[in-house]
This record gives sequence, structure tokens and C-alpha cells, in this order.
Amino acid sequence: MTKPAGLRDDAGSKYEPVIGLEVHAQLKTKTKIFCPCSTTFGAAPNSQVCPVCLGLPGVLPVLNERAVAFAAMTGLAVGATVHPRSIFARKNYFYPDLPKGYQISQYDRPLCEGGGVEIHVGEVRKRIGLVRIHLEEDAGKSLHPEGREGVNTTRVDLNRAGVPLIEIVSEPDIRSGAEAYHYLTKLKQILVYLDVCDGNMEEGSLRCDANVSVRPRGQAAFGTKTEIKNLNSFRYVEKAIAYEIDRQIALIESGGRVVQETLLWDSARGVAETMRSKEEAHDYRYFPEPDLLPVDLESSWVDGLRATLPELPDALRERLVREQGIPEYDAEVLTETRALASYYEETALRSGQPKHASNWIMTEVNAVRNKTGDTIESFPIRPDRLGDLVGMVASGRVSGKIAKQLFEIMLTDPAGPEALVQKHGLLPIEDAAALRALVREVIAANPGPAAEFRSGKEKTFAFLVGQAMKQSRGRAHPEKLQAALRAVLTEESA
Amino acid sequence: MSAAENRSIVLESAEALAASVRSGARSALEVARAFLAQADRTAPKLETYLHRMPESALRDAEAVDRKRAAGETLGPLAGVPIALKDNICVRGVPTTCGSKILEGYRPPYDAHVVERLRSADAVLIGKTNCDEFAMGSSTENSAYRVTKNPWDLDRVPGGSSGGSAATVAAREAPLSLGSDTGGSVRQPAAFCGVYGLKPTYGAVSRYGLVAFASSLDQIGPFARSARDTALVQNVICGRDARDTTSRADARPIDLEALEKEITGLRVGVPRAILDEAGDGLAPSIRASFEAAISAFERVGAKIVDVALPHAKYAIATYYLIAPAEASSNLARYDGVRYGVRRADGDLRGMYEATRGAGFGREVKRRILLGTYALSAGYYDAYYLRAQKVRTLIRKDFLDALAAADSLLLPITPTPAFKIGEKTDDPLAMYLNDIFSIPASLAGVPALSFPASFDAAGLPIGLQLVGRPFDEGTMLRVARAYEREHDAASRVPAIVTAAEGGAR
Amino acid sequence: MPIDVSVVRKIAALARLRIEPAEEERYARDLGNILGFVEQLQALDVSGIEPTSQVTEGARPALRPDEVCPSDARDEALAGAPERDGDYFKVPQVV
Repeated sequence: MTKPAGLRDDAGSKYEPVIGLEVHAQLKTKTKIFCPCSTTFGAAPNSQVCPVCLGLPGVLPVLNERAVAFAAMTGLAVGATVHPRSIFARKNYFYPDLPKGYQISQYDRPLCEGGGVEIHVGEVRKRIGLVRIHLEEDAGKSLHPEGREGVNTTRVDLNRAGVPLIEIVSEPDIRSGAEAYHYLTKLKQILVYLDVCDGNMEEGSLRCDANVSVRPRGQAAFGTKTEIKNLNSFRYVEKAIAYEIDRQIALIESGGRVVQETLLWDSARGVAETMRSKEEAHDYRYFPEPDLLPVDLESSWVDGLRATLPELPDALRERLVREQGIPEYDAEVLTETRALASYYEETALRSGQPKHASNWIMTEVNAVRNKTGDTIESFPIRPDRLGDLVGMVASGRVSGKIAKQLFEIMLTDPAGPEALVQKHGLLPIEDAAALRALVREVIAANPGPAAEFRSGKEKTFAFLVGQAMKQSRGRAHPEKLQAALRAVLTEESA
Repeated sequence: MSAAENRSIVLESAEALAASVRSGARSALEVARAFLAQADRTAPKLETYLHRMPESALRDAEAVDRKRAAGETLGPLAGVPIALKDNICVRGVPTTCGSKILEGYRPPYDAHVVERLRSADAVLIGKTNCDEFAMGSSTENSAYRVTKNPWDLDRVPGGSSGGSAATVAAREAPLSLGSDTGGSVRQPAAFCGVYGLKPTYGAVSRYGLVAFASSLDQIGPFARSARDTALVQNVICGRDARDTTSRADARPIDLEALEKEITGLRVGVPRAILDEAGDGLAPSIRASFEAAISAFERVGAKIVDVALPHAKYAIATYYLIAPAEASSNLARYDGVRYGVRRADGDLRGMYEATRGAGFGREVKRRILLGTYALSAGYYDAYYLRAQKVRTLIRKDFLDALAAADSLLLPITPTPAFKIGEKTDDPLAMYLNDIFSIPASLAGVPALSFPASFDAAGLPIGLQLVGRPFDEGTMLRVARAYEREHDAASRVPAIVTAAEGGAR
Repeated sequence: MPIDVSVVRKIAALARLRIEPAEEERYARDLGNILGFVEQLQALDVSGIEPTSQVTEGARPALRPDEVCPSDARDEALAGAPERDGDYFKVPQVV
């Protein structure tokens, strides 16, 4: 990543970055916000359209009740005030993918205000406040054919026009690219927990613009802010913000002034550049939408919605720490999704081993999932089998090593661990006589090291233990084997 | 069919025609033929239509006759021809709103009112001329033609629904639909000597009405009697899920209840509003108004004084709110998805050239005015302030309608003016709306009814205003007047003069 | 209230309307007259008055259930497009 030239190392401590994020989240409703067209992703161009979302003469919008519910749930989940009355407004501008020549959005009476999201970066816990959440309709897609000779046209697909969005505006409480990254991660997590949004920046179901400014530390007044667009991943958000902070500081330090403008992030070159086409400042001429009644929500409806909210990430994490006695860090990993948290809880219950269950999932299960890309829902070992396996290790029925072998087998063989132990002959060798026989074989095969041990070299004991384990293909009971080996070696030295 | 048979059909009421089709005394086909023949004679002179639908009308009429033959129940408008203003969408039929920018445009869907009319077995016979995008008071702003007043071909029929008013007056159809935003049904009704109703805002679905000013637009009927007005209003009113501003509160009007005497009914008269019109109010209108008051007193109504103190601000209020909403509603006409497109280099050039060439002067004026009223720095002083004055005007009406059952006002300051007389000064044209705009801003129902004729034989209409969703009381009052005066039964010379010669 | 031609140009640009230079004065004059007329509203005391953006008091909110209903008007609607590129609408390039 390119760092602006001339930035002194201590300049960062002189200035405080001030960042606010505007996030647009596509709601997972079946139909568009103002008409009953499907919202399915990837359909043939202009196949999911109707007179209403095409903006034909004479049509009128009708509000989707589930879009309101999803937006209100999001507000409840972040502790925002869900207003009993909110109003739609028209945002007027011309663009080919905006069929009516205005976007129906919310302006001075949004659905939700306030609330916040808790993040922690390293050891520091912090609350990022929210200004508001409001409902609006998405625009269609304008496609500019790249690299085709002599082509100077744009193609317009209106399938996306009218898909419901919520716009989530944060307070300017964010202080670094890293905090922004964590904020977005947390926000996405909440939206996915609520099942109101897929939260996929690469696919466009989650979009983010960043407003960045800096001010001398201790100053209350804000500096001039720039807006950065074209951020297509959480990592780009982090990088772009870091870049822009450095750029603004270097500019100010060298005597320049920050200009209020919109910048586009170029991820290939790692820079944010002024948008080439200098549009006149938009005058959106907002006014209340006359075709839609105010959104009036009964408090009983809101209460009913609140009751349907799932347990949210923070509450779930705290409960697992409290009830299962696992560390914070573990709980954080295990509550990445509701499905993973459920998987953990069922495994912990089945095995009776909350800490061991946590370790198994965080290491073995997740290692496999990272390679195969399985979701926890599609992972082949379900909590019942994993729980049984974890229980078998805890009770000493099998060693840790054998358990790992069983785990591998269980990825493709649907049988339970007990049945597989029988089938593959993986029972531990615990019988004293069998162990003594094994030990004698190993000593016979390794006369040198045996002799060395007998002459006082303790170190060779471990080597002999290893050989015996190898010979038994890991099945020898570790403590009992060691006892047997020591006994036989000592006996025969006498 | 002989000319005499045609004449007897075209002079009948819609109620009588529907009854005769239901009973089998007439076929829907002969009814349709009679009106089509009448329009063949007069429409070329009056230029009432932008698009006539003779073939589909005959097919629809035949379908009604087949239904009857099969023993099916026929609807309340069985076989009755009805014309529609060209800003109401009919699937597959050219709908231009009187504008070049929609030349050739055919909607892929029917307006809600069209579905209702079809269900009632009405026969659609054509799309009538109007001021472009319903903006105007004379139908001179149509990009295609100028409709003539059937009573005097040198005069305007009124606007913006001039074609729909004229076609009913000329007996080319017994019924028609127009749209009223600031008077566009009521004023042409008065100029043409027919009934014109602006329903309560929300009584009739706007789905399929091309929007001009969303918080003011209402589709309304033209007819030649109070009963016929009620008949068609009953068919088109009611809640539509596709228009969330439409209401279920519009109850059907009982036609027989219209025959009840109006003894003791309180008719409110806001005299000050006439004084505000000053010299602009023609003596013939004032005389007709006073005569109507006396007529109501004679049949037992109680005349009460009411005040509408903020009505004098109505024109200014309207000419900020309506253009503002219009400037936004007309942004969709950009040449991208439908209608006419003019290429001119890049995208911006295309927008500007398309809209520059496609919109006429009055439409452009109102878009500019509306854009200005909403623009940064001006919103509070113009649009927001106008909305606050609207609150005051609405309250005036609701207060007055608590003290009276119906209000009586003029509807126009003069009878029909001459073509070209007011086209140079937009503001002069706007001042015509002095009596019609207040009820639009208040959202209350208002009815224009034929009262009398002036010395030159031009119709004079007057206005009744009612409580929200109480169209019935106004129609009952109008019916009481009609029983004594029946101004709507006089026939314009062009209707009878058109006959003669071989057919 | 006189309106300058430069104001007409600015508003026309916002509204994407082409006004021929020969017509600019006329629009400026007409707009000026109308705005002068509406100035009368400034005299009214509207403090404490709520604005009316809809005359729909008492209307119950109307929400639509989230159920897919494919449109039967789609093909007809697309057939009316001034210019197409396959299933796409085609417009001059957005700069």
C-alpha cells in the first residue's frame, strides 16, 4: 500500500482521525420494497420487473411489510429507537438506472434513530454510536461495456431497481481503519444473526462509504471530511481509511488544506482518487412522498417483533462464558454465526465437556472447514457424533491421537465413533500382559537404547516409548505403556 | 339505424340505456353504433378525441349482448359507452396525456377505474383530448389539437379535461371520465353545461392515472344528470390495494335517496369569496349564483353564512404545491424506457433534448416553477409554507362543513372564454381557478352542476362542496335543483345541426 | 419578483430541460410574475401550523405481504423501449 510521501512518524499522534461509515444493506425479502417482483439474485436482465419498478406512467408504490419488519428488527437489535411514525421522502436526481427520476427514501423522519454497536479491537472495547437507520429502494444496474472498440453506450438492467435497502449511518466515533473493519464485521454479524441480510460486500448485498477527516488532538471542531466510495471488501475499507488518514495528515503538515470531495478507492493501486467527472453538487430537493402514507407502527407490533429477535452475538457470547466456563476468546470464535454457536452448545451438552468441545471445534472442525469451505450447517460430523467422540477422549476410552484418526474417518464414514473404534480395531491396548509383550518386542528390537537406559540414560526412555507407540499404531494406553516399559526394563536389568 | 333512432338513443341517460340493455329492449350493439355515428359527425369539428376506439367498442358491445343472451347478470353500466381522458391508461391503447413525449406510447396495463368499468359492462369508446399532462384550464395546451366548446366553436371547452366534457355535452357519449387536480373536471363541466364531479381525495384509485400532482389528483366523472353521475361514481370508487391513498370509506350512493326533498338541509354560502373575485366575476355568474340561492330557499333548504377566510390564498398555494409535485412526477419522462427519445451526444444531452422537445411550454413552465420551489434555499419559503397554508384552507372547509351540509359557490368566474384569449399570460389563466382550487387543496368532494345559460346561450355552472366521503349529499342537492331547472337537458346546436343529408 | 435568465438556466439544468436561448427571457418573465404573485403567502402567520403533505387523515396504513407476483406486463413494457441491447435498455454512455 502506497503511503503518501513526507509523512513524519510522529505526525499520527498529533492528529485524531474521525471516521463515520454509511452502510447500505440489501434486505432478504422475497419481493421488492414497493412491488411484488422477485428479488432473486442473478436473474436474466430485466426479467424481474413490472410497471411499478419500471416507473411507467400512472403507477404507484405499495410498501412491503416484511421490509419494515426487517428494518425495525435491525433497529431493535442495535438498541435504536424505532419511531412509531416515520415518513418516506423523494430524493430527486436523474440517472438511467433510477426509473422514476427519484429514489423513494426517508429524510427527516427515519424509521430508527440512535443505538450503537460494540466492537473490540485487541483489548479495547468500544461502542460505535449510530445516527439512524432508514428504509429506501435500490436503483438498477448501469453496465458500461469495457474494452469494446467504439462503444459509447451504457446498458441498463432494472432487476435490482426497487430491492429494499436499509441505510445505517454511524456517528463519527471510529478512529482508525482497524476500528472500521471491526465495526463492519460486527454489523454484518448482527444482520446475519437476524437473517435480514446476507452481508456480502463482494456480491453487493452490503455496501459501505466512508467519511474521513482529521483534527488536531484535543480540538472539538471537526476537520473537513472527504467521502470515499467504491469500497468492495472490509479489508479495502480498512486500507482506504488508513490511506486517507495519512494523506490528509501529510497534506496539513505540509501547509495544505483538505478539500471536501468524493474520492474513489482504486484497490489495484492502493490510492483514493478524486472522481474524474466533476458533477455539480447535488440538490436532491427532498419532499415528503405523497403516494405513501406515513409508516405507523403500533407499540404492540414492535413488542411482538422484539420477542422474535434471536439471541444476539454479544448476549450469546456472554452467556457461553458464564454457563460453559470457556474463555472470552473461545466464545467470540464460537459465536461467529448462530449456527456455529448452536453446533457448539449441542456438542458441549452431548459430551459434557464444554472446554474440550470448544477446542475440538476451534481447531479440528474449523481447520477442515477452512480447507473445504463447508459451512457449519453442511459439515459432515454433526454435534451428536462429535460430542460422543469428545466424551470418549475425556473418559480415556481413546487417546487424543486415536481420536484424531477417528475424526478423519468420521468425515466420510457416517458411523458413530464407538462403532468405528470396533470396526477399525482402534481400541486402546490396556491389558498388562499385552503391553508387557509389546514392550519386550520393542526392547528386543532396540538392544542398544535399552542398554543405554539401563546404564542410566533417562533420555532413551522417551525414544523407546515412541517406538512402542509406533508399533502399536497409537493404540497403547500411554500411562500404562510407560509403566509396563519401566517395569520390564528395570526387571531385566536386575 | 335512422337518424331519429340514433337521436333517441344519444339523448337518453346512462341509467335508462343500461336498463334497456339489461332488459333486452335495446342491444348494446345498437347503443354503441348510435354514439359512434354521432361522434363520426361531430368529433371532427369538435376535435374531442385523440384516439377513437370504434372496433373495440363494437366488440365490447357484442360481448355484452352475448353475455345477456347466455343469461348472465349484466353490470350497472351494461352497454353504456364511456370516453376516457387521455391520461388514464388503457392496455394496448395509445395514451399520450396530450403530450408529444408520449407519442405512440401504449400502456401494458389497465388503470383500476378501467377494470371497474369493464366489470360493470361499460363500453370504452375513446381517449379524449386534454391539456398536456393535465396542466391547463382550456385544453389549448394539448400538443395535438384544440378541442372546441360544443355550444360555441370559437370558445374553449375548459380544461384540462376539455375533451371529456365536450364529448358528453355533444352527446358523443353519455358518460366520460376526466381528472381533477385544481378544477380540471369541474371547470370544463361548467363551460360545457354538464355535471362534473371531483370525488373526495382517496375515493377513487389513482392507479393508472398518469400523475400530475399526487396529493391533489382525482379521477372524476362527467354526466348529464345527477343520477348518472352517482351511477358511474358508484362503479369507480373504492379501495384499491395498488393505491395506498385510496380509501374504503367511499360508500355507494343510493340513487333513490337522491330524490328526497332537501327541506331543512343547510346550504353554506361563503359570500366573501365572491367579493375577492371582484371585477373578475362575470355578472351572469353572479346572477345565476343568487338565483340558485333563491331556488334552494324555495325548496326548503336553509341558507347559512360560512367563512373560508384563507381561500383567497388558494391559488398561490396551489401553484407552488402542484408544480412541485409535478416536477418530480414528470422526471420519469427521460427517453430511457418508453416514449419518445431525442439523441444528442451524451446521456445528459439526450435527457435535455428529449425533454426539451417533448414537453410544451406550460409543462416546462410548471416544471421550472416546481423545481425552484423545492430547491435548496427555497424549500422553506415556498413549498413548506404553501403546505402550511394548505392546512389552514383545509381547516376552513372542515369548519364550514360542520355548520352546513353542503356549500354553494361559483365554479368559474366567467362562462367559456374564446380560444386564444388567455394563452399569452399564464397568470391570467391561473386566476380562472379561483373557485375550484380551494376544494382540491382541502381534499373534499366538489360537484359542478349546470345552473343556467347566459344571454349568449353559454352554459353557466355552479359548485357544491361536501363533507369527506359524502358525495351523496351534494348530488341530492343538485338533484333538487335539477328537478326544477334541468339545465342539462338543453342540446347544443351542433348535435341537431349535424343531421340532415344522406347517411 | 424578477427572475434572472441565469436562474432559469440553473433550474433548467437541474430539471434536465433544454430551453432555447430565444425563449429564456420569456420563461424568466413568466416565472418572475408567478413568483411575484405567490409572494402573498409570505404575509400569512403560519407559526405553529403543521404542513399538510397528504389529505388522508384517518387512513389506515396499507402494507403489502412479501409474496412474489410476477408481472404479466413485462414483455409489453420492454417492447416499448426506445433503444435496446438484447434484454437491456440502451442509453448513451454515462460519463
